[in-house]
Amino acid sequence: MRRTFFVLLGVVIFAALWEGYKLVGSPDGTVVFGVRVLPRADDLSMPHLWTVFERLGKPELTGGRPVWIVILHACVFTFGITAAGFVAGALIGLLLAVLMQRFQLVERGFLPYVILSQTVPLVALAPLVAGWGGTIMPAWATVAVIASYLSFFPVAVGMLRGLQSPSASGVELMRSYAAGWWRTLVKLRFPAALPYLFPALRLAGAAAVVGAVVGEISTGTRGGIGRLVIEYSREATSDPAKVYTAMLGAALLGLFVAGVVSLLEVPLMRHRRHVEVVTL
Amino acid sequence: MTAVVVEHVTKVFNKGRPDEVTALSDVELTVGDGEFVSLIGPSGCGKSTLLRLVADLIEPTTGAITVAGKTAGKARRDQDYGIAFQQAGLFEWRTVLRNVELPLELRGLGRAERRARAEEMLALVGLADFAGHYPAQLSGGMQQRVAIARALAVQPPLLLMDEPFGALDEMTRERLQGELLGICAKTGTSTVFVTHSISEAVFLSTKVVVMSARPGRITAAIDIDLPARDEAARQSERYFEHVTAVRQALRGVPAESAP
Repeated sequence: MRRTFFVLLGVVIFAALWEGYKLVGSPDGTVVFGVRVLPRADDLSMPHLWTVFERLGKPELTGGRPVWIVILHACVFTFGITAAGFVAGALIGLLLAVLMQRFQLVERGFLPYVILSQTVPLVALAPLVAGWGGTIMPAWATVAVIASYLSFFPVAVGMLRGLQSPSASGVELMRSYAAGWWRTLVKLRFPAALPYLFPALRLAGAAAVVGAVVGEISTGTRGGIGRLVIEYSREATSDPAKVYTAMLGAALLGLFVAGVVSLLEVPLMRHRRHVEVVTL
Repeated sequence: MTAVVVEHVTKVFNKGRPDEVTALSDVELTVGDGEFVSLIGPSGCGKSTLLRLVADLIEPTTGAITVAGKTAGKARRDQDYGIAFQQAGLFEWRTVLRNVELPLELRGLGRAERRARAEEMLALVGLADFAGHYPAQLSGGMQQRVAIARALAVQPPLLLMDEPFGALDEMTRERLQGELLGICAKTGTSTVFVTHSISEAVFLSTKVVVMSARPGRITAAIDIDLPARDEAARQSERYFEHVTAVRQALRGVPAESAP
């Protein structure tokens, strides 16, 4: 109830800022010493919010399907890619974290590369991965690979920290029960890691959306929302509201993924509903 | 049969390195069946190390440890002892009942049997009504009682306790001491109890083992014979005599006093 209120409040504040700036901002933007510090407020750069919503209802091209249906289809397509990339990335991240926890040598040898992997620019990686499309995997799968490449990282790092979080006395207790590594993992380390895993999964979800959108653009895959943003932005001069509809779709997709991910923790974090547990 | 026999045990940490520490030096200890033995001494005297050696959580550098007639390692694998630490160390994601069930689960007991046994143990520590609660909903004293119930769940012949009441307030501590004695008497469990409280050691134990630091070794073993262990006993003359004896042994009075 309170949360819904604050979410709505956020939307209202955003709308007020947008329309308010349009009202007072200079149509040519504010330029200080040759640098534009505030954007143009004209209808071409910042269409009225209602124009954007109106545009959603109108056909994409003359006689075509309405824009909102096109965007919905694109979002569903991209969501599929995001989900595939997220699941693959999360599984790889989990596996890496378990291996790094189990073998200190793996942690020392591998963790620097895990971190290094995220400093490689995606645009440098995308053409390589795009080349796999149509040969060893369908084109959409290459985008999922890029999404998983971004999403495995927070899971690997967060989960490793979580698996290492049990106190020494907890580990000793399991030893006193003659529990081996596997049973200590299942009964102690894994449940103890859940409070670390879920924030990591939320980050991974967001990263997977970004990976899917950027991946679609850089591999030239058709049918998704990322592609739509690029296509519509080419029409920005003649139809400025159109590109904002695509951006709205991408933003809502991100929120939807975040919501789905946070639903995952409901059955697994039952004790949290009874008590607030300090994790950090 | 004796519950614990420690023979010529030495424990050196970081052997051969610049930060080498001799935690225990030539320690001998025997705990008879049904005995309640307290280990007391200043911090760094190796009393916790000795308990961990008995529990086979760490291995001795030299010497041998026998628990219930087996090597310490075999006894651990057979779950021949229950252990409780200063921090209750309950698993926050499990209910109180499921926490007590944990050692039974790892022993491969069936669901119904596990549940019955855990409920029995919770009744023993007076927490039958809190079976469905989560640890964070309980006070520190209650959590410690759950930890004791968990240690007792496999009905081990030996109970190892590392300052289990150290983090509790004085009133809770005294009440739990009474409860612990009752439980040990009822179950016939032998106990090794690490503490740094003289009064606690004297009130609970049949034997108080006094240790000194650097290197950790046993300096005295004082037999305690109190006719009863109740509130009156805490006020009795003999109780205070024992307290004084342990205190003197801790200070190294009279013979072994260092310059």
